[in-house]
Amino acid sequence: MSFFQSTTAELAPGSKSRRRAAGGRGTRSGPLAVVVLSILIAAFSLLPLGYVVVMTGNAGWDTIQKLVFRPRVGELLFNTLALVLITVPICVVLGIAGAWLVERTRLRGNKAWAVLLAAPLAIPAFVNSYAWVSAIPSLGGVWGGVLVSTLSYFPLVYIPVAAVLSRMDPALEQSGASLGLGPWQVFFRVVLPQLRLAAAGGALLVSLHLLAEYGAFAMMQFDTFTTAIYDQFRSTFNGAAANMLASVLVLFCLLLLLGESKTRGNARYARLGGGAQANPKRLALGWYQVPGQLFLAALSVLALGVPLFHVVRWLIAGGAAIWTGSALVHALLQTLGYGLAGALMTTVLAFPLAYLVIRHPGPVTKVLEGVNYISSSMPGIVVALALVTITVHNVPAVYQTAVVLVAAYALLFMPRALVNLRAGLAQAPKELDEAAQALGKAPLVAFVKVTLRLSAPAAAGGAALVFLGIVNELTATLLLAPNGTTTLATEFWAFSSEIDYAGAAPYALLMILLSAPMTYLLFAQSKKAAGQ
Amino acid sequence: MTPTIRRAAKAPTAKPAFIPDPGHVTDHLLVSGARKSFGGTEVLKGVDLTVAQGRTTAIVGASGSGKTTLLRLIAGFEAADAGTISLAGVEVAGPAAWVPAHKRSVGYVAQDGALFPHLSVGQNIEFGLPVRGRAAAARVGELLEMVSMDPSYARRRPSQLSGGQQQRVALARALARRPQLMLLDEPFSALDAGLRVATRRTVSQTLSDAGVTTILVTHDQAEALSFADQVAVMRDGKLAQIGSPFVVYTRPSDRATAEFLGDAVILEAWMEGSLALCSLGGIPVRRPPVQGRVHLMLRPEQIRITEGGSIRGRVVDTDYFGPETTVRIQLAPIAVDPGKPVDPHQPVGGEVINIRHWNAMLARPGTELSLKVVGEGVVFPWSE
Repeated sequence: MSFFQSTTAELAPGSKSRRRAAGGRGTRSGPLAVVVLSILIAAFSLLPLGYVVVMTGNAGWDTIQKLVFRPRVGELLFNTLALVLITVPICVVLGIAGAWLVERTRLRGNKAWAVLLAAPLAIPAFVNSYAWVSAIPSLGGVWGGVLVSTLSYFPLVYIPVAAVLSRMDPALEQSGASLGLGPWQVFFRVVLPQLRLAAAGGALLVSLHLLAEYGAFAMMQFDTFTTAIYDQFRSTFNGAAANMLASVLVLFCLLLLLGESKTRGNARYARLGGGAQANPKRLALGWYQVPGQLFLAALSVLALGVPLFHVVRWLIAGGAAIWTGSALVHALLQTLGYGLAGALMTTVLAFPLAYLVIRHPGPVTKVLEGVNYISSSMPGIVVALALVTITVHNVPAVYQTAVVLVAAYALLFMPRALVNLRAGLAQAPKELDEAAQALGKAPLVAFVKVTLRLSAPAAAGGAALVFLGIVNELTATLLLAPNGTTTLATEFWAFSSEIDYAGAAPYALLMILLSAPMTYLLFAQSKKAAGQ
Repeated sequence: MTPTIRRAAKAPTAKPAFIPDPGHVTDHLLVSGARKSFGGTEVLKGVDLTVAQGRTTAIVGASGSGKTTLLRLIAGFEAADAGTISLAGVEVAGPAAWVPAHKRSVGYVAQDGALFPHLSVGQNIEFGLPVRGRAAAARVGELLEMVSMDPSYARRRPSQLSGGQQQRVALARALARRPQLMLLDEPFSALDAGLRVATRRTVSQTLSDAGVTTILVTHDQAEALSFADQVAVMRDGKLAQIGSPFVVYTRPSDRATAEFLGDAVILEAWMEGSLALCSLGGIPVRRPPVQGRVHLMLRPEQIRITEGGSIRGRVVDTDYFGPETTVRIQLAPIAVDPGKPVDPHQPVGGEVINIRHWNAMLARPGTELSLKVVGEGVVFPWSE
């Protein structure tokens, strides 16, 4: 699952590169080696989905009936649906309201608010849940789940919507006003329709996160499909029950993707006007300044203040005793190691496809991109389940090794790398490569000196976001980590599962500190991406 | 009274119209039967082109005519589906040969210059040089001076340069390796009008001083006529005509070429011997391809308003452009000799034509004018 498939969908491959699609002696759909490589990588990314399909197919109708149509599944279905149906609309409203206040009104301190509203992404949902449970021990059920996940995930709507708002052509609003619409009518009839793509993309991300989240809900003993699959897997290892639940979960994900693509329709690759110098008019708030400030302050206190306060409270309560040096350093180093290895591997794997998308857009590329889009929406629990079963049965040599965990990270976070690489490669047009060749550099040398060099900053940005994802990844890491491997997330989980909230606090702090700069990077990038 | 000429035929003293003479000039580039398709659309439909050593050829055509594709085949960025390309007598592309772009000794300047944004001006120019260090720095200064830029520009970033400066740096970069052939892909089209003329002059001067064989691709016919020794007109993936600027402008091979290369006055005419009878009287035509009903083409500057001219016309209206005025003139029908039998297909004439004149006051609507025609006309077979 990725942040910002939505904002990046607007980064359409330019018509210029489309026109000059074919190059050199390669085929029309790109150099053969790159195409083959991309197909292999796409096939690899289809493993989890393929696993679920095959398992469901093999189970037979009787088993499916027995395992799917039962009260327990009904309960999970109700919980999961209620969670999604309540949380997503709230996130959309909060995200759009926040973005509009920050980007389109003369709100005092709007630069600071802009960052503060994105900042909750630096706090993993399970850390947020831990803080809220320690604040209100009785928190749980659907409403507990809604509260915590709303506060964790509304920035996924806010960031793309703010990016679009800040770049929206003011001429359209002026046209609306000149056609006799008042400010509110302009907002609902001109501005809001233009936010549809960004908001729908953000809503999809929130939904996919809700389906995939394990830690935050397990912490408050609220059962969803993901927590149930995890428990089932822990108790019976490779039960058909876990597989059946996983196939229902995957079905949900696919339905969500379908729904979102219906919303987008043909507008999926709609571009924002690039040339227009955007200098949107900001609305004077007058006395509405007060409720506006109060609203954002309340949101920030709930989403940032509460978790930070409780982490600090537990740190103080724990005193020096909780800084058990060697375990903490071990977990930190392991996390950094996996983060770097995963970021590198993911970036390398994403490169061939990103290259094809920018340089050789065509039917083959489109299919590969679609495969990646679907497969990367698989929840971590499904990816872990698939990799465990496949390695146990087919490649026992790598079962429970670091290789499998890194592969899982690559499957989960490929889109983050892909999106950034695409933007980076778009900055390195083919013409520059050709200029280098005309200056006597062999194609490979030209590629390294020009294309790789120019896309390096974007690749690094993508790698940083993958790193952020890995640092905060819990579900797949719990299931796939080799024996003796601990990460900040798993250690945090181990402590908080034993209700040692103080012991967990240093790990929470480190995760937040590691995530903060990356979250800022993500925020800054989304602004840039919307402008291209 | 002298009519103004907007798209002047080249003044012979500035640059003599060049007609290739195989006796003493060697062919540098030879393209024969080049074909190229993209996804089922044939962009080049068999192109033959010869460019002599040290000469400048402009390939001119509307967008989509295939001219950029031809340039990219010559550069080696694309491979032709059929046909051969030879550089200095060596086959570089063909059924049996393939020399990749970086081994072709071909300089290439793209529409936007394609300077590497991560390198300074100096580093851009050095990019293709085999030498490094002091020797390279000296050469960079030399090259910058060659394109009329101060060597101090070497330290700047491409983003700090104007469009014209970027194009000149791109040219210096392409010249650094002393290529045998220079390819220019619409290098001036992104510049505004004033800068375009100045940059074009610098580039043209630099290239002719360096004696580099040059091919310029452009959609601007005036640019093609003023820049090149040889103009190749491209249409629908084929070269419609190749010749000196003077020849292609004054004796275009077909009506589309005539209209593409500049304003044309097209009249219905009746060809008899070497005279085309039309509303402007009998116009001499050299080697007419057919007799009978034809289209006659004249350039507007060949039609002059003059006292005592034999042709009558009445001003319909005018468009004032400052230094010149477009005058729309209603001509009288074709005069018929009463003693001669009239062919039923013979055109009647009486067209409205556009010419230009410097004196806006002269030509009020309704004014009766007398006109005369200078030089020969060109005829094309009749088509409805």
